[in-house]
Amino acid sequence: MKLSFKYKVLMIVVLLMFIGIFLYYYGIKARQEQAVTEALIDYKNMTREYALDAVYKSKEVPIEVKLYPTAHTEAILNRWKAISDRYPELDYPEAAIEAEDWLTVEESLEDTDVLKEVVDQMYEDSTIPPEGAGASFTTLFNYIKYHQYDTTYIEEVLIDLGIEPPKEID
Amino acid sequence: MKKKKVIIVTMTIVLLIVVSYFAFQLVNQNQDIEKAIEQELYELKHTVEDIYAIEFLDNDRVLVFYSWSFPDYSNFGVMELEKTWRGWQFVEAVSNRMEMKNAWLKGVYAEIGDYAILRGPTWASVAKIEIITGDGREYIPDLGRAEWQMWYLILEDEPFEEATFILYDSDGEVLKEEVLEFDLNWPE
Repeated sequence: MKLSFKYKVLMIVVLLMFIGIFLYYYGIKARQEQAVTEALIDYKNMTREYALDAVYKSKEVPIEVKLYPTAHTEAILNRWKAISDRYPELDYPEAAIEAEDWLTVEESLEDTDVLKEVVDQMYEDSTIPPEGAGASFTTLFNYIKYHQYDTTYIEEVLIDLGIEPPKEID
Repeated sequence: MKKKKVIIVTMTIVLLIVVSYFAFQLVNQNQDIEKAIEQELYELKHTVEDIYAIEFLDNDRVLVFYSWSFPDYSNFGVMELEKTWRGWQFVEAVSNRMEMKNAWLKGVYAEIGDYAILRGPTWASVAKIEIITGDGREYIPDLGRAEWQMWYLILEDEPFEEATFILYDSDGEVLKEEVLEFDLNWPE
């Protein structure tokens, strides 16, 4: 059986088309899977960082995930707002919070220079810490996000400035 | 001509081996329930997880109770898996934030698939919980232990908005009595 040149070319073209469609399809699929993975990572991070509830109806294309604020989310936002009310240079992203756009909310807490500036100002405004005492930007971040007092005097400074209520004495 | 035949037969055999290898992989990848749970939680990114209980609703449906996120494990999840010809597959999952600070127990209501589920963390010293509803129904929820201890109840009758929880220790002594309220409209 001898194939004509024309027939051979046609076969190669058809074969190449199949390979092309196959690669195109897998390229799209791989990109979609990548996008889904990135979205699931974002959902996970926001759920963890803002103490949210989450409902996953589908974790493949089309992805269907809904996030809901909890009482713990409110507590985080209240700490943030209390500081922002006194130190407006720390932005409190009201619109993004109302829209429950947690990725944008997170961006407002990413400027470490502002956090450092505010925490330095707090130490300066309070009469409690001795000269030379200070804190890093993570101190303010950990207080807002996790209600942690990770540096000496931070709890006393927050109480002194009226951001935290005074400690109850048993 | 004979050479050509040998090539075609060899190629066909190689192709069949490759195709059956992938088909075998596809069918078998999620047959083992524990591996499937690990894989599904990895895909949800609910990693550094703790599994409290695997509850078989029937032969091909399972609810997995877990918590995730290091170091506090305060996100409590429940995931439904269904067994298909491709093994165990994800159906739905719910994650609720419940922090244990200053509380004997916490609890939330959630609907997953066709089931109404009440669940939450409690302390390790609790050996048994008794739930008494306002209309006199009594339930003993299951307990699962991992990083925390989790109680859970898969409701088969009408859900309730409020109930008294009596917590017992291993000697049968009452540790605490607490009333929990549930939002039956959650998450809407």
